[in-house]
Amino acid sequence: MTSRIFKSCVLAIALFLMAPVSINAQQMPMQALVGQSLSKLQQDQPETILNCIAELKRIETMFPDSVQPKYLMALQSLNYAVTNPHAPQADNLLSDAAKTIDQMEQMAGADLSDVCTLRGFLYMVRIVQDPAQNGQRYYIDVMNNYEKALKLNPDNALAQQLQQKFLEGMQSAMSR
Amino acid sequence: MLMLLVAISATSQTTISGIVTDGREPLVSANVYIIGTIDGCLTDSLGHFSFQTTKTDELTLRATFIGYEDYTLSLTQTSGLTIRMREKATAIDEVVVTASTYSFGKSDNFKTMDALDVVMAGNSCGDIVAALQTLPGTQMVGESGKLYVRGGESDECQTFVNGMHVLVPYTTNTANNASRGRFSPFLFKGINFSLGGYGGEYGQALSSVLPMETTDVATDDKWGVSASLLDWNIGGTKAYDRSSLSFNANYTSLALFNALFPDRYDWTRPYRKLSGEAQYKADLSAASVLKTYVGYDLTSVGQQIDNLSLSLVEHNIYANTTLKTNLGRGYTLFTGIANSSVVENIHDAQVPGDHYHNFRNEVHLKAEVRKVFSPVVKMSAGAEDYIRHSTLTYEDSHYRLDYHLLAAHLDAQVRLLPHLFLNTSARLENASYDGQWLLMPRATLSYVPNKHFQLSAMLGQYSQTAEDEYIVRSGKHLSQSTANHVILSLQYSTAKTLLRIEPYYKKYHHLPLLSDGTCTADGYGTSQGIDVFLENHSLIRNLTTTLSYSFNDSERLYLDYTSPRTPDYASRHNLRLTAKYAIGKVIIGLAESYASGRHYPQGTTPYYNSIDANITYLAHPKVIVYASLNNILGRTNVFGYKTDGSNITGSRDRFFYIGIFVSLKNNKAYDISNF
Repeated sequence: MTSRIFKSCVLAIALFLMAPVSINAQQMPMQALVGQSLSKLQQDQPETILNCIAELKRIETMFPDSVQPKYLMALQSLNYAVTNPHAPQADNLLSDAAKTIDQMEQMAGADLSDVCTLRGFLYMVRIVQDPAQNGQRYYIDVMNNYEKALKLNPDNALAQQLQQKFLEGMQSAMSR
Repeated sequence: MLMLLVAISATSQTTISGIVTDGREPLVSANVYIIGTIDGCLTDSLGHFSFQTTKTDELTLRATFIGYEDYTLSLTQTSGLTIRMREKATAIDEVVVTASTYSFGKSDNFKTMDALDVVMAGNSCGDIVAALQTLPGTQMVGESGKLYVRGGESDECQTFVNGMHVLVPYTTNTANNASRGRFSPFLFKGINFSLGGYGGEYGQALSSVLPMETTDVATDDKWGVSASLLDWNIGGTKAYDRSSLSFNANYTSLALFNALFPDRYDWTRPYRKLSGEAQYKADLSAASVLKTYVGYDLTSVGQQIDNLSLSLVEHNIYANTTLKTNLGRGYTLFTGIANSSVVENIHDAQVPGDHYHNFRNEVHLKAEVRKVFSPVVKMSAGAEDYIRHSTLTYEDSHYRLDYHLLAAHLDAQVRLLPHLFLNTSARLENASYDGQWLLMPRATLSYVPNKHFQLSAMLGQYSQTAEDEYIVRSGKHLSQSTANHVILSLQYSTAKTLLRIEPYYKKYHHLPLLSDGTCTADGYGTSQGIDVFLENHSLIRNLTTTLSYSFNDSERLYLDYTSPRTPDYASRHNLRLTAKYAIGKVIIGLAESYASGRHYPQGTTPYYNSIDANITYLAHPKVIVYASLNNILGRTNVFGYKTDGSNITGSRDRFFYIGIFVSLKNNKAYDISNF
């Protein structure tokens, strides 16, 4: 579960699948800002993810009623944490992501399928951080959240891909 | 021309620079920016920041950092800025006071443990009650198997499922044979075991409460089976769009086990239990959750005891329905109804040819409103009614008892200072059989300076009616027993280690006291001691160790005691050491339990000691095998003395268990499908 390949795959999936989400931007200036921020991302440089999260936080402050910056902020935070599970910033980012997901859940415009996907991803990162301790504890939560996400929206590509990666990761971890 | 444009562009940008600290240390990765723009940066490893902004009019700078208050500043200068951020005060809804409570479930609370942890705990054999006995504050009472907390009787600990009371949470058995909890650990997503000092929501418990929350609506179908030498189980779940229906059937029989491993007792009919459970859970809307549970146990056992051919049959049915609705504006409404019915029939109970029949019924109605008013105030208020009925027939004697227990409570949680929290509550209760009203104040003051440390002081008064038989024998004038709790709690935790120390003092009033065949409320008692719990994950990778130690000094005058003395269930010292080590697909558990001798009029028993081991093998994603051996050394532990002076011991010294759990339709690996 903690292999670099697994983490890179998850990051690549999340980055690739951010594009359709961005299309749903509610306001042009916001979308432009978001696009500008995401364009600076470089997968192999973790600091660019941190800077992107910081910029998204600023955009979120400018557009507090919009779901999109919150979604992207949480997703980027989870992306960073899954590839850098033991970085000093990881725990803070996960706490912030959890709060953001809770906020999204209360917002009228939020897609519940996306919320479940993020929550499943959050538990998944917890497992990556400490497989021995958290694997047994959060395994069912990861699965349940991805399943619920796909039940609400069977075309949720991020949920599909993350679920598949998670199952592969579990299988390889258990076959060792 | 191009150079001119570049020059104009350069001159229209302002550079903002400075340092961010918490007053002592620089803050790394704080987000510093100009409000209304995305111009900003993260602080470096020395807390420094420097960025350019194209904004030219009034500049307002903001700095944010997780766990700190946002910092806002209208800029009058643009360089050499020093930003001193203040730690954020925890919102009342976020603080989790852990004093006197052990929480199991998927949360970031004090201690997390799920159903599999319960199954794999030292000598629990899948029994929640036995697993909880690894915690400090509980007493080792081997011949009973029930929870005895901090010098209190077993019935002073009350169980609640989804907030609703369970009249009899244990399976039954003949005297001196341990009971088990009647609920499967796989039913629950959260278990909160409070050893005292709990709020106004819970009543009718002098010592402790065990509230358990069932799992949420299932998202997919599953079914599975499990088998062991003792019990056979089948269960499953059908998931619908917004609801799920689950069932579980279990048959337990000691016939095979007794044939393979004979014990000391003479069984005329082996212990047998047939159980059925069903659950329906529905997300009625985004804001409403409905949960229903119904469970039935039929237990039958026969034992030859000297010239008595004892035969026991018990029917125990429990059902509850709860509805939790988010009303908006921070209001949550909880309503629930529960019914417990227990029928017990015993032949040859005390003398050959006698017959004992007891029927008890309880209806529990409850409603509660909760509201978070602001980050500093949270309140809840509720009312409940216990409607109880019981009849008992034994030879020539017969009684019938009906009464209500009406209660209301008000709880307020207030953040007094950024790290200082006060939880106050008042509970008002009236028992209809004597008409007396009781007002019981409770308060907890907690200092929570950070996520590693908590210091709490708890004070509170608690009440409980005596057993039905004693109420009848008092002429229905028996005051409720009360207990005053004083508890101090200190907790220190890091990612890998947790230490909790809790000294406590309890004073009992109006305990039932028997004299000349009648019962009065003239009993009293005290219980004091200290509990220590240490959990560590850092000694070796994949190894979890725990140490639980309890010192208890209790004394009481109650029931047939002629003078105040230490109750015979109480041991002065209780020590449990556990270790759990995961290696690949195998998880190994070891537990050592020690309790000092118990005091009886006939003398003090030898100390109790048991070393237990268990192993879990994840044989296949759909198959889990579990085995345990209790009391490896085979020590004959003496739990007490009979009136003739002979020893009370368990039916067997060692106990071996092996079980296999198989998921038949389930896309999740290592998930027990029975619920």
